[in-house]
Amino acid sequence: MEKLLSIDHVSMTFGGLKALDDISFDIHRGEIVGLIGPNGAGKTTLFNCLTQFYKEYEGTFTLYSDAPVDLGTLKVTDVIDHGLARTFQNIELIPDLSIIDNLLIGAHASTKDTFIEEVFKMKRATSEEARLRKKAEDVLAIIGLTAMKDFYVKGQPYGILKRVEIARTLMSDPTLIVLDEPAAGLNDQETDDLEEIIKIIQKEFNVTLLIIEHDMGFVMNVCDRVCAINFGKFIAIDTPAKIQANPAVQEAYLGRDDDA
Amino acid sequence: MKVFNTLDTVFNALGRFFKNVPYAGYGLFLLLLWLIPLFHSVDVISSGQLGIFAYIVVITVAALGLNILLGFSGLISLGTAGFVGAGALGVGVFLDLGLPFELAAIATLIVSTALGALIGLFSLKVEGIYLAIATLFVGEILRQIFTTVPIFGGQSIMIGSVTLFGFIELSTFSQSERRVLFAIIAALLVGMMILMQHIVKSKTGRALLAMSRSSSAAQAMGVSLLKYRLMAFSLATFFATFSGIMYALYNQSVPTTQWTLDLSLFVIAMVVVGGYKSIYGTFIGAFIIYGIPNLYLKDLFGDVSYIFSGLLIILVILFYQNGVAYLAVDIRLLYAKLKRRIHGGSHGKAPLD
Amino acid sequence: MAEILRIIFNSLETGSAYALAALGIVLIFRTSKTTNFAQGMIGALNAYIAAFVALNFGLSIWLVSVIALATAFLTGITIDTLMIRPAKNVLPVSKQIITLGIIMIIIGIIPFLFGVNNFQLASYFPTGSIDILGATLRFNTIFVITVSFAVMGLLFWFIQKTRWGLAIRVTASDETTSKLMGVPTATVTMFAWASAAMLATLAGLFVAPRVSVYPNMLLNVQISAFFASTLGGFSTFLGPVVGSYIIAFLRNFTTFYISDIWGNVMVYMGILVFLYFKPYGIFGKKPQKKV
Repeated sequence: MEKLLSIDHVSMTFGGLKALDDISFDIHRGEIVGLIGPNGAGKTTLFNCLTQFYKEYEGTFTLYSDAPVDLGTLKVTDVIDHGLARTFQNIELIPDLSIIDNLLIGAHASTKDTFIEEVFKMKRATSEEARLRKKAEDVLAIIGLTAMKDFYVKGQPYGILKRVEIARTLMSDPTLIVLDEPAAGLNDQETDDLEEIIKIIQKEFNVTLLIIEHDMGFVMNVCDRVCAINFGKFIAIDTPAKIQANPAVQEAYLGRDDDA
Repeated sequence: MKVFNTLDTVFNALGRFFKNVPYAGYGLFLLLLWLIPLFHSVDVISSGQLGIFAYIVVITVAALGLNILLGFSGLISLGTAGFVGAGALGVGVFLDLGLPFELAAIATLIVSTALGALIGLFSLKVEGIYLAIATLFVGEILRQIFTTVPIFGGQSIMIGSVTLFGFIELSTFSQSERRVLFAIIAALLVGMMILMQHIVKSKTGRALLAMSRSSSAAQAMGVSLLKYRLMAFSLATFFATFSGIMYALYNQSVPTTQWTLDLSLFVIAMVVVGGYKSIYGTFIGAFIIYGIPNLYLKDLFGDVSYIFSGLLIILVILFYQNGVAYLAVDIRLLYAKLKRRIHGGSHGKAPLD
Repeated sequence: MAEILRIIFNSLETGSAYALAALGIVLIFRTSKTTNFAQGMIGALNAYIAAFVALNFGLSIWLVSVIALATAFLTGITIDTLMIRPAKNVLPVSKQIITLGIIMIIIGIIPFLFGVNNFQLASYFPTGSIDILGATLRFNTIFVITVSFAVMGLLFWFIQKTRWGLAIRVTASDETTSKLMGVPTATVTMFAWASAAMLATLAGLFVAPRVSVYPNMLLNVQISAFFASTLGGFSTFLGPVVGSYIIAFLRNFTTFYISDIWGNVMVYMGILVFLYFKPYGIFGKKPQKKV
């Protein structure tokens, strides 16, 4: 299988506390990989280092979407240009824009018109805008939100917002999407829908996904492989069934037998 | 109900017209503004009132720029007055150097906008109240320079009659030429409104909103905070300076002393009362804050009229948070509700924007 | 030497007015979470009351000062109750604009109550001075500086050592939690507005003999107080006071020794550069943020 992302010996310290301790694993093209671990294991920290929100880590993230690139050399705003898009644990949408306009923000990096062309509404600005709107409508159709495209984000139910945030990542033609707890706060029905959507977008857009999630049922149903970490340390990466059976993983979640 | 069917047809037709004919709304708005000098020529509006309307037109442009900053970018400036003054006085200085009006205006815009971009650079380091006061520093520095540096000529700077395109000469001494000047600044205002519309309904406007509502998401989507902070402050400064140039064009004499914190606060009040992010709302805000007291209340109550304007600002903020611009949305909602109640149960779609 | 002493005395006097106003601004900023642009105007209104009473009833400056401070207390409470407390859920910027509304209301009230003429207010010690190394130090200056230090000392003691002071500090750091813990945040905020109004009025009474009483008499003081709070940092109560004296001194020093025209501009530019490297002021701390 073709390697898409390799995480090599990544460590991160917060004021003396090791949030990440020498983590290494690879992700292959076309996979859906789950990242699990108890609260405070360092999952979101790993995401923030990967997407360059935190820069003070050791080790490297190499992304092989086109030519191999060391993500550490990029600014946080340039990561998306190399095909890496993300969502956030707490929904980070623009409440006073419509759903479709929120998707257009996802296309920011791939919009080609210049400011001057926008100001005077020159041809390229209008055609870019039309192209992106069409694209956003296509994405919304796949996600099943076409009917709601002109509704403001503010006031929409949580389940919808989670889907809009995922849809927004698709606007940048990503190769790797990292989702931070997409199923958190969803009810059972919404979680089932989300599983479907993730499988569909993986096929339709030919993307690779890395997903932080606590809902083990969701992880089992969606992921091809699961990586477990605890206290910033790598425990194991394997198929969902094997991870679930892994004694070290069980220990991380349930504690040692003699403690329990 | 027959009435509603007829009303719906009318509203839908109007809606389609304004949606499908580009700039129909702005065209209509400009025509309305052009009625003002027309009324002046038949003495329905006095010269004093024409001046007040002109001031509203001029200051709306500064307020539009501030709305880009405040409404879209979530940043504040207490230095607006300084940049309006820079526009008005700067043109005077460049005219004195012998430049034609158009070149003087462009030179002023370039210098002033560059200064505004510097504040944008500053805003990456300094945040919140500290940034607000930092912009007040800039405003005060400009004010000090205007009032004490000799090139600005003491109490005021005379511009005199303005020559446009090298051959149209317009002077405020002639009432008819003053009306032409009014028509010109009204057209400039509408031009700036359209400009703003283009900016905010595009990649830039969305990026500014993303930056202010969620800086993490903005960065993850590739929105450079440096670039768009610079952009926000440059645009606000550009609009403020442009407004100053319109002031110079219309009044042809520019005082050096009136570009104070009060004016900056008034411009903010126009945005707050008119409505964040609303282009027409900004004009309505300017009309309420400057127009109503000066056109109507002052004649009735004199200085005491300030009490009414103060109360008005507070009441709008306390009881109509979104600003007057959202009256339109609320009226539409009310209409839909009324229709539903009378029709009994048939569901109308809630209108959006 | 005499020159520099004179500048220092003068700076301590003007700096005291800035510091009083700045303390009021910070008190309100910390408890009410808004920037009070009306601070100067509230002081002016009560200085008008003092001058009006002094003129019409022939009372001494001492007595009218007490009256003005009492009316200031009421002004603060009125403003908080009628205009600030109902604005709990208003956007921060809009809330600041409410204070602009207050400015306009006061600008309207002043001519309505007191007419359009300026008033005069006497000094506390019109005569008398001592010479220190050739520099004249007027008794009035000594009085202004002493009272300011005493008032500020008292306020610091109050904030640091008393139960109500503790309530102010916890409201300032986290209003929602304080409320849940049973701190009467509404009363604290009301007290903050009352104190701020009294501090502004004291500043007004101190500068009135030099500038006379008119609506914008405290504009310069107020803007300087904003600058001082920024320089010192809004997150402490001491910072703005220190900032006030620094600004007063730098201003007097540069305008005297360097340039009448460019002195102020240089000081402001200097502070801006300072802020670029220390964005939360001299004593300020960067608030913690999470991605």
